[in-house]
Amino acid sequence: MKYFQYRKTWLLMLTVVTFLVLAACSSDDANSNADGGEEPDKITAWAWDPHFNIAALEIAKEAYSEDINLEIIENAQDDIVQKLNTGLSSGSMKGMPNIVLIEDQRAQSFLQSYPDAFYPIGEYFNTDDFANYKLAPTSLDGKQYGLPFDTGVTGLFFRTDYLQEAGYTMEDLTNITWQEYIEIGKDVKAKTGKDMISLDPNDLGLIRVMIQSAGSWYVEEDGETVNLVDNEPLRKAFENYKAMIEADFVKANSDWSQFIAAFNSGDVATVPSGNWIAPSIEAEESQAGKWAVAPIPRLNMDGAVNASNQGGSSFYVLDIPGKEKAAEFLADTFGSNSDFYQDLVLDVGALGTYSPAADGEAYQAENDYFSGQTVISDFSAWTEEIPSVNYGLHTYAIEDILAAEMQNYLKGKDLDKVLADAQAQAESQLK
Amino acid sequence: MNKLLRAIQTNSLFVKMFLVMVISIISVTVLITFSTIRMSNNLFMETFSITNTKVLNQIKQQFESYSYSVVYTTINVQNNGTIKRLLTKENVSSLEASNSFYTIKEQMDRMFSHNPSDANMIVLGKNNQLFNMKYINWSVSADALIDHPITKNSNQHPNEILYQFVSEGDFTNGRPMIVATKALTERSTENVYGYLYIPIRERDLREFYEGYTSEGNSVLVMNGRGEIISSNQQELIGQTSQKLLAAAKETEENGIEYKDVHVLDKDYLLLTSALPALDMYLVNLVDQELVIDNLVDRREIVLISIAIVLLAVGIVFIISRRMTTSLRRLVKQISNMAKYDFNKPVAASGGYEARKLANAFNYMLNELQEHVDNLIKAQRKQRKSELEALQHQINPHFLYNTLTSVKFLVKENKKAEALETIDALIPLLQNALGNVDETITVEQEVTNIKNYVQINQTRYGDRIKVNTLISPDCLHYHLPKLVIQPFIENAFFHAFTEKKQGFIQILIAERDDRLVCEVVDTGDGMQVNKMQGNKGKRQLFSGIGVRNVHERIQLLFGKEYGIEVSSELNKGTKVKIILPIIDENDKNNTISKDNTKTRFLGGENF
Repeated sequence: MKYFQYRKTWLLMLTVVTFLVLAACSSDDANSNADGGEEPDKITAWAWDPHFNIAALEIAKEAYSEDINLEIIENAQDDIVQKLNTGLSSGSMKGMPNIVLIEDQRAQSFLQSYPDAFYPIGEYFNTDDFANYKLAPTSLDGKQYGLPFDTGVTGLFFRTDYLQEAGYTMEDLTNITWQEYIEIGKDVKAKTGKDMISLDPNDLGLIRVMIQSAGSWYVEEDGETVNLVDNEPLRKAFENYKAMIEADFVKANSDWSQFIAAFNSGDVATVPSGNWIAPSIEAEESQAGKWAVAPIPRLNMDGAVNASNQGGSSFYVLDIPGKEKAAEFLADTFGSNSDFYQDLVLDVGALGTYSPAADGEAYQAENDYFSGQTVISDFSAWTEEIPSVNYGLHTYAIEDILAAEMQNYLKGKDLDKVLADAQAQAESQLK
Repeated sequence: MNKLLRAIQTNSLFVKMFLVMVISIISVTVLITFSTIRMSNNLFMETFSITNTKVLNQIKQQFESYSYSVVYTTINVQNNGTIKRLLTKENVSSLEASNSFYTIKEQMDRMFSHNPSDANMIVLGKNNQLFNMKYINWSVSADALIDHPITKNSNQHPNEILYQFVSEGDFTNGRPMIVATKALTERSTENVYGYLYIPIRERDLREFYEGYTSEGNSVLVMNGRGEIISSNQQELIGQTSQKLLAAAKETEENGIEYKDVHVLDKDYLLLTSALPALDMYLVNLVDQELVIDNLVDRREIVLISIAIVLLAVGIVFIISRRMTTSLRRLVKQISNMAKYDFNKPVAASGGYEARKLANAFNYMLNELQEHVDNLIKAQRKQRKSELEALQHQINPHFLYNTLTSVKFLVKENKKAEALETIDALIPLLQNALGNVDETITVEQEVTNIKNYVQINQTRYGDRIKVNTLISPDCLHYHLPKLVIQPFIENAFFHAFTEKKQGFIQILIAERDDRLVCEVVDTGDGMQVNKMQGNKGKRQLFSGIGVRNVHERIQLLFGKEYGIEVSSELNKGTKVKIILPIIDENDKNNTISKDNTKTRFLGGENF
């Protein structure tokens, strides 16, 4: 009988164990996706321009010496800014990319607001290889966070045919001041009927170009103190802007596509802009040979140079799992690969700030569209001259205020008052 | 084949039991499995339709709030004098343009903030001035837009907000969009001075509901023409399905909660909600099979069921095997019982029941054995007393005749002969009255025979001679009383009716470890079977006759001993009595040789 009791117990045990095993089988899937702490095999990157920075990332992916599962996600720049702000301020890094492209003028606001969110990548590449003016906006407290992507070096693109018709040559446009530019513009308008420039009244990009060429910005060196009312370069820039409007050679645009349309349609004679506009100009093939690039005009004051910067951007790595992989990828491509930069210039037209690359062949190449001008080489040379400024945190907030005051100024408000009011508004708003 | 059949037959209890159990286990499991799946399906569909109705309502609210903000924005733009003024202006200076561009954007910015952030807002004037709040979403040019059908539709219905679907193509940078359009009209003249567009990319519209969808549970938005303008199943976007539209209309109008439909080449459960303000239908298609498959893992349930069945069948197999095996063994033992004279107990093993049964059977067997033993004992006792009675029954005629003979001898003064006869009679009687089981030595028997013969010869003369030939080594052997005498008597009185003269020979010798006594006469002979019938009662010496001897020997010593009679007419009869060798000195040894006898003798006191 004892044997039998033992045997029954054994059977019972077997049954229980079997059910447990079956039950365990069924709930196996539940626990798998819980932890995100491990190294992911997919690296994600956010960028905004499929023809420019996204294309550059694609090339980098090809050029990378190792295998990488890189997913590039296209987002509008505004969306990237908004998503980053939302994500980082909530402290949850969920859904954040490993690599994100940030415009230099916005970079400090992110770095300073969320210093722990970004991963310092200064050890992965040699910062001395990059243009100096790119390092200030991309670093914080001595730590390098950004890997510079494109320069944003500016130039004055102009229609050679229109200017010739008005009696001007390349010589006449080289190393001029904005006043000289306005005079030329008046001539062009009078002789050809074409507007000289297309501007979006809501975007003071041209003002920024002007003041950086004189080494000034909306804020002082510390990046925080609002510097408008006693800012001489800004004052001069405002005067120049108003002079252009009053000269009546400005074609207003309200968005990017209209801006592009303005020069693609042949309505304007010059485009003072960052070098990244070149692919958009070249897109209009009927105008091949009719364009040239001169150095950007400078402010008529001491210390102003014929070089400035507009809208360059840099790559940042977020401090989330996969950061080492992402940093290694960036360092191996954008951080140290000269050959890759040649491809970048040739295929995408993106001009990096990696100085060793400037010796490469592609940088010396002549550009047929620009009548054989060595455009890249020229931009490269101007890049070296760009004065370094601290963009600080509040570039776009201040610019909104300035844009409103600019309209008041155009309507006749006194410039001193305009700047004083803007200063007051900015100070109260940014306190 | 036969082997298999026999195996099945011998195991038939097991086979039946096992089959019944297996069939019931399987059928119970199958029934439970199916009803579980069916019940969960029903329950799921029930809850699913309830949840999805609520979900649809929530999505509907999102769409309504979207449409509200579109209406609100439209009214604001329509009523905005600045926008109207700037849209109607032509040929302005840079200063004016700069000013108006700035102002209009500022105004639009203010109004645009009411809109869901993903929607765009475009204002287009008759003067080809275009203001785009989010050119990155849709960088459309004024020329392209003003000639597009959506603008023309708007122009034809200037007082309505039209929600128009623009399928993917160059016009929208390859992204399908839903554009709310409204012509901006002067209130007094009803002149159209511009257009307002509130485009939302399909993928942004999708976000209104995408979170509620899953594989097999899709949502699509259909306009009043049956065109699918948005769906989480992107391949459906741009298709037109009148059937789906009809089904949606029907469910909506009849207030049905859900409906089974076959659309887009598949069977679906359809839930719908109308968006009359947008002239759209919100349709929720549930691929029942897929969703249920995802939710209820049939394969797993079936696998678990199979595992349970296998386990149960295995356990049933082991248990029933154990139970029936012991029973089967028991049955086999019992059916073989006869071979072992019902005295071999069955082995008690196996399950509780089998062991109880075996024990009971053994107990019964023992009782039976005992009973049979008792019966045999009683029978033997009875037979013995019968024989004894016969033995003691000295025939009075014999005594009478003998005494008469003696009387005549005395009368004739043959005193010596008379004395001799009486001397012979006395031991004869003494011998006959003893115990029927008692044995006497061969020597004594011979003496008895001689006495008997003498008496007979005294009475009937000596025309029949008797010779005895006894092997001297046999003299001390024992044999039962009155074993040989009846044959001599028989020979005396029946063998010599014709011949009148002759010999009777008595031979006793040991042969093959047996004591063989032969009574041979030279008389008439007879037919063997007749011997039994002769019952000359008067002539007999005692109740023990020829008839009893054989029986008595076998009773005493077993089947291998007894009488053999051979006879030939006119030549004589030969009776062979075969007995065991009983040596009184080592009687026990001799007896123990025969196992069968042991019990017989063991039970008696000799």
